[in-house]
Amino acid sequence: MSTVDFLAPRTWEEALAAKAERRDALPIAGGTDVMVELNFDRRRPAALLDLTRIGELAEWGSDGSVLRIGAGVSYRRLIEELGGRLPGLAMAARTVGSAQIRNRGTVGGNLGSASPAGDAHPPLLAAAATVQVASVRGTRRVPVAEFFTGPKRSVLAPDELIEAILVPPAAGPQQFAKVGTRNAMVIAVCSFAISLDRERQAVGTGIGSAAPTPVRALAAEQLLAAARWDRPLPEPTVEKFGELVAAAASPIDDVRATAAYRRRALAVLARRTLRWAWEELR
Amino acid sequence: MAIVGTRMTRVEDHRLLTGAATYVDNLRLPELAGAAFVTFVRSPIAHARITHIDTAQARAARGVVAVYTAADIDVPPMGTPPMLTNGAAMARPCLAKDVVRFAGEAVAVVVAEDRAAAADAAGLVDVEYDPLPAVVSVEDALAGRTLLFPEAGTNLAHEAGELSAADPFADCEVVVTREITNQRLAPVPMETRAAACVPDGEGGLVLWLSTQCPHAVRDDMTRQLGLLPGQLRVIAPDVGGGFGGKIPSEVDYTVLCWIVRQLGRPVRWMETRSETMLTMNHGRGQRQRVTIGGRRDGTVSAYRLDILADAGAYPHTAWLPSATVWMATGAYGIPRVEARARCVVTNTTPMGAYRGAGRPEAIAAIERAIDLFAAEIGMDPADVRRRNLLRPEAFPYQTPTGMEYDSGDYPAALEQVLAAADYPGLRAEQARRRAAGDHRQLGIGLSCYVEVTGLGGEEHGKITMDADGAVTAYVGTTPQGQGHATTLSMIIADRLGVPPEQVSVRHTDTGSLDQGGGTFGSRSLQLGGSVVHEATQRLCDDALPLAAAALEADERDVVLDRESGRWRAAGDPAREISWAELVRRSRPGGSFSVEVKYALPKLTFSYGTHLALVEVDTETGQVKLVRFIGVDDAGRLINPLLAEGQRHGGIAQGIAQALYEEMRYDEDGNPVTATLADYTVPSAADLPGFELLTRETPTPHNPLGAKGIGEAGTIGAAPAVQNAVIDAVSHLGVRHIDMPLTPERVWQAIKEATS
Repeated sequence: MSTVDFLAPRTWEEALAAKAERRDALPIAGGTDVMVELNFDRRRPAALLDLTRIGELAEWGSDGSVLRIGAGVSYRRLIEELGGRLPGLAMAARTVGSAQIRNRGTVGGNLGSASPAGDAHPPLLAAAATVQVASVRGTRRVPVAEFFTGPKRSVLAPDELIEAILVPPAAGPQQFAKVGTRNAMVIAVCSFAISLDRERQAVGTGIGSAAPTPVRALAAEQLLAAARWDRPLPEPTVEKFGELVAAAASPIDDVRATAAYRRRALAVLARRTLRWAWEELR
Repeated sequence: MAIVGTRMTRVEDHRLLTGAATYVDNLRLPELAGAAFVTFVRSPIAHARITHIDTAQARAARGVVAVYTAADIDVPPMGTPPMLTNGAAMARPCLAKDVVRFAGEAVAVVVAEDRAAAADAAGLVDVEYDPLPAVVSVEDALAGRTLLFPEAGTNLAHEAGELSAADPFADCEVVVTREITNQRLAPVPMETRAAACVPDGEGGLVLWLSTQCPHAVRDDMTRQLGLLPGQLRVIAPDVGGGFGGKIPSEVDYTVLCWIVRQLGRPVRWMETRSETMLTMNHGRGQRQRVTIGGRRDGTVSAYRLDILADAGAYPHTAWLPSATVWMATGAYGIPRVEARARCVVTNTTPMGAYRGAGRPEAIAAIERAIDLFAAEIGMDPADVRRRNLLRPEAFPYQTPTGMEYDSGDYPAALEQVLAAADYPGLRAEQARRRAAGDHRQLGIGLSCYVEVTGLGGEEHGKITMDADGAVTAYVGTTPQGQGHATTLSMIIADRLGVPPEQVSVRHTDTGSLDQGGGTFGSRSLQLGGSVVHEATQRLCDDALPLAAAALEADERDVVLDRESGRWRAAGDPAREISWAELVRRSRPGGSFSVEVKYALPKLTFSYGTHLALVEVDTETGQVKLVRFIGVDDAGRLINPLLAEGQRHGGIAQGIAQALYEEMRYDEDGNPVTATLADYTVPSAADLPGFELLTRETPTPHNPLGAKGIGEAGTIGAAPAVQNAVIDAVSHLGVRHIDMPLTPERVWQAIKEATS
């Protein structure tokens, strides 16, 4: 007979203390990932740490030049309240699950699960977001690109919790696209996000479901950064961009698709989102 | 005013939509108080010898009442139906004995005080397996290197139809042959399998079961458990969908009944979704070889369908591909048609009926064949259909595969859909996009289907009328959401002249009606509806002399006024009597009651045409279903609203087969799409609105003029969508893509055609 302790802290301090004391506790917010894992008996945590009672986790605001999004902000609120300032993230959030899942699921939870298929990850990578993690030992900030260490693994220490995500508001066009085996409630076959910074002529990218972790396509970013931004992109550059994005992925064959298809589809998504974003620049 | 033919809203809906329905697991009856919970221990391996089972730890666990294995259960295995060619040595034990034959087969069963204790203890049963080679593909099964039932000497469970020695294509100008896979699907009803069982206090049992066929289950269980007739009562409370998966009598039910007899206490059982994905029968699963031949003017003169079908691990429904053989002809007047099915056992979940059950496979094959033929001779697929569809004057039409089609106007249904779609306009838009090299190509797919309905041609029913005029009908058909109570009460109300609110319909309890057929094969309205129609006629016949006596008139002058529900004497409006008064007068303290059996004299054939319009992204292979237009002729409609509901759900499941769903196994027989994350059932977000057109050609074979509508949508929709996707990329050289048409499959087909 197995029992699970259910820890329900009311404040952030209590949550950090609880996590310090019970490092084996699995944090749960919307439960849209955790409950699936429990249902399939993939995990048998000794304790669940419920974070839904902590009001400040569900808040967002400005932190200097960036937006600070509490780990407990739902996808639905991201879309409704931050869609204008973070269009790439909002586009990805709209493809998450069903309306019910978007009401429950949170970006903090998505990061905590660290699935290579997490829908929020590519736009966070493209936007150069930072994850603020905390423990009783203090807080630290980790660039999203360094947050993931493997499939469903991250840099989180056993006593740490995700507190917030810090994202610069869009400084130019952002796009997101995904291939799935149905329209809604589907785990991505692959996804791609792009973010253009008009002033600095900087480019961000993010690839989902096509490598052990969500990854950036650095060579593709450099290619674009070196292009002329004041005119239409030459078609060979668009083609090359697609190739470099596909090359940045290291996909596998699984029940949803083969590696070959994922590479191919990524190149298509990359070219398309680039064309859409470039069109918006003008 | 006649109620039949109106869009009366469903009498069931308020209860179902407000959460007031009672499914098995919601039953809170006094006799179920203190029920133990049953959980099966299931094999994680597809094919293995069981070398040892240790239940000691499980038996010692908290809250455990008992743990049983095959060694404990002294019930004979469930035999296969006698019509199978090789089924005798392929019986299914109640729990796996010595050998497991599919991943999910039960090897032990745990009875505990509650659900959680049962689940925990099931994990403590230690089973040792010695793996055997798994037979997964039907080709490997037919080759027979590994046999599932060595005593049978073969994996071939059943054979139906035959192919002629002569070449039917000898005089054809064009012959096209293609291998087609009609993939394995899971039914996925909202409610998983569930039951509750109690001792009745007199040595018998009451079984509440989520089933489509309570009477057949009662008979099978009674036989298998060695009970006396009348010792088992089966009741289906509200049933949350079935789609064929709740037709069969299952060994799990036998085990539940056996446990109750063993322990003398009530038990409950409800599967998890993960279990039901592996234990409820799957459907379809055919490898087909189609050959079609004819002239370059579009005339099809010969067609052959050779089927290798998957029966799964136990072939209790291995005769189902016979329905594919019967319906191989489709809606066409093809002079020479032949079909054969061979059905083999494999180490996978047993197969059974799934919405359409053998008939969708026939239409999918011939509708693909027609398009292949059209592509080969360079003719528009609509024109090939125009040339070959059966004409109205052909009915009754004896098909080369043994069916007698009853009625309809197949070409008119095609023209109706083509007109509604503006077919020439769609072809023009397609040509424009092809010329422009657009990456979103348009595809137009047609499917002209015909389906045999009204299977299981006999049904039972009973109608009583009480002294207050209330009518109660008992029928042997049993609903899983179709709305039988609504449609049957409409028929009865019209026939007796009483308001439908005064009619209550009871089904699904073998204790209140001794015989019944159940619900499957698009039969319930025709059989259940004709039964109540017949019963109302008998009730009126019985009442006539009584009414004549009451009105002091000659029988020939007395009629039932169906507007008012009053019996009247001709020529004297003052002389009249209501049903209630007639009952009180003729049967003081009693009621009128008639019991009838109705047999459908001949099978009926629904038909229609579906058109799907899709956009295919030629760079990613993604498919978007843009429009879906269908006409379905199911004879006279009793309630057009409910008919539309059946069409809507059916079309959704047909589209699901075309684009989304497939139950897949790896080479070791492990299911790889057995969760709802990987077995992608579509939701409303995946489907456009459907444009539903109607036709009503009554059948001459039953008093209602009605044919079946439950499976039509599924049968027609899948080939329409499949043909549309292939049509969208046919200019690139693609001739065929197997279902489901996932982005990767479509992309792969384009790549192969263009490289």
